[in-house]
Amino acid sequence: MSLTTNASLPATVQTPITQAMAEGALTRKELKALMQRSDKPAIMRLLVWFCLVATTGYLIWLAYDSVWLLPAMFIHGIVLVHHFSLQHECCHYTAFKTRWLNDIVGNFCGLVIMLPNRFFRYEHCDHHTFTQLKGKDTEMIELPENLAGYFWYISSIPYWKAKLNELWRHSLGNLTPGEKKFVPKEERKTVILEARLMVLFYCVVIVVSVLLQSTAAIWYWFLPVVLGEPVMRAIRMTEHVGRPMVYDMKTNTRSNIVSLPWRFLCWNMNYHAEHHYASSVPFHALPALNRKLDGYVHVEKRGYVGAHADILSQLLGRVARQNTSTIDQTNNRDS
Amino acid sequence: MDEHWQDLISQDELEAGDVTPVPFGKTLLAVYDTVDGIFVSDARCTHAGANLCDGYFDGKFIECPLHQGLFDARTGIAKAAPVTRPLKMFKARVHNRMVQISL
Repeated sequence: MSLTTNASLPATVQTPITQAMAEGALTRKELKALMQRSDKPAIMRLLVWFCLVATTGYLIWLAYDSVWLLPAMFIHGIVLVHHFSLQHECCHYTAFKTRWLNDIVGNFCGLVIMLPNRFFRYEHCDHHTFTQLKGKDTEMIELPENLAGYFWYISSIPYWKAKLNELWRHSLGNLTPGEKKFVPKEERKTVILEARLMVLFYCVVIVVSVLLQSTAAIWYWFLPVVLGEPVMRAIRMTEHVGRPMVYDMKTNTRSNIVSLPWRFLCWNMNYHAEHHYASSVPFHALPALNRKLDGYVHVEKRGYVGAHADILSQLLGRVARQNTSTIDQTNNRDS
Repeated sequence: MDEHWQDLISQDELEAGDVTPVPFGKTLLAVYDTVDGIFVSDARCTHAGANLCDGYFDGKFIECPLHQGLFDARTGIAKAAPVTRPLKMFKARVHNRMVQISL
């Protein structure tokens, strides 16, 4: 056996966390302590989560046949679309220590918001590899050209159009050349099967609803998710939009200091820069990582509102647009 | 033919129950203090080349710090997406409290 390097791989990739340790932002010992996993925090939070979903669903029941129905569905929808945050945590296997629990809960969340878990996992991997690099970041939301583009994105119409198209295309067995770059050959069948099972699941829900002559799925699920999605789109924008399009995690990602209810809903993903620095650190340790990386990453102390004020300032030309692409900075992350 | 054992690191310098990075020539190796003894692999993840020594290790499995792909640190077998290729493992032993690999 020899120690020659594997020619198909670059030298060890400088990940954000190796960079942070090299620059003395935190020590190996601190990182390892923050990485420790546990099932308990997520289980405890899930208990409250289910109570919250039941409560906001009950609001819809109370508001039936009144002018309060739409606001109730909107509030319920805000909670429902935050299943994305839990799914995201599960896709990093940091929600639960028990790995298969992450798969089960992640798939459940994916069904709630129509986001195939396996496919999302692969897509999200490349988002972490090529964060904020135009043409490479698979989840990049570009800084809109103008106010119309800003509101068009938040409307969620382009989002749903893309997601419905994606699910249908995958269920037909088609992946785009771009998708084939991040879904390995061995996994394409799984991704296609997942899409087919998901379509089948929604068909079953519709058929059962028709047979039972029930509109519950519409009032308690589909419509609230559609109404709530603009909130999730607006939150997703705060993570990277308007930050420099460079390979430097100190600047390309934005953390937002938000109040406890929002932190609860988003599973601490408001500490987004910290998450990108060390994606193996579970959600319950992100506040501690935030304190540790104080001054090292970009933090928007005014929260989501401040992030959108920053984005809008760029759109309206009050400050310089931070959308200069510097793809040549990828170096060996081009693998 | 006799095996040639090369010293890597003293057992006392290992991060107990964890993975320790050890430079070896131009390569970085990962030395795992597993529940079944000491094992050594190339420190690079076979998916995108991240340093596995910065990942979460539970005594059996090493998780990539960048994408959370999973390997069995005792065999190098890729256990969970997005990794599909096994780790390059090195035959290892502890001799007089020194971790050695066979070349």
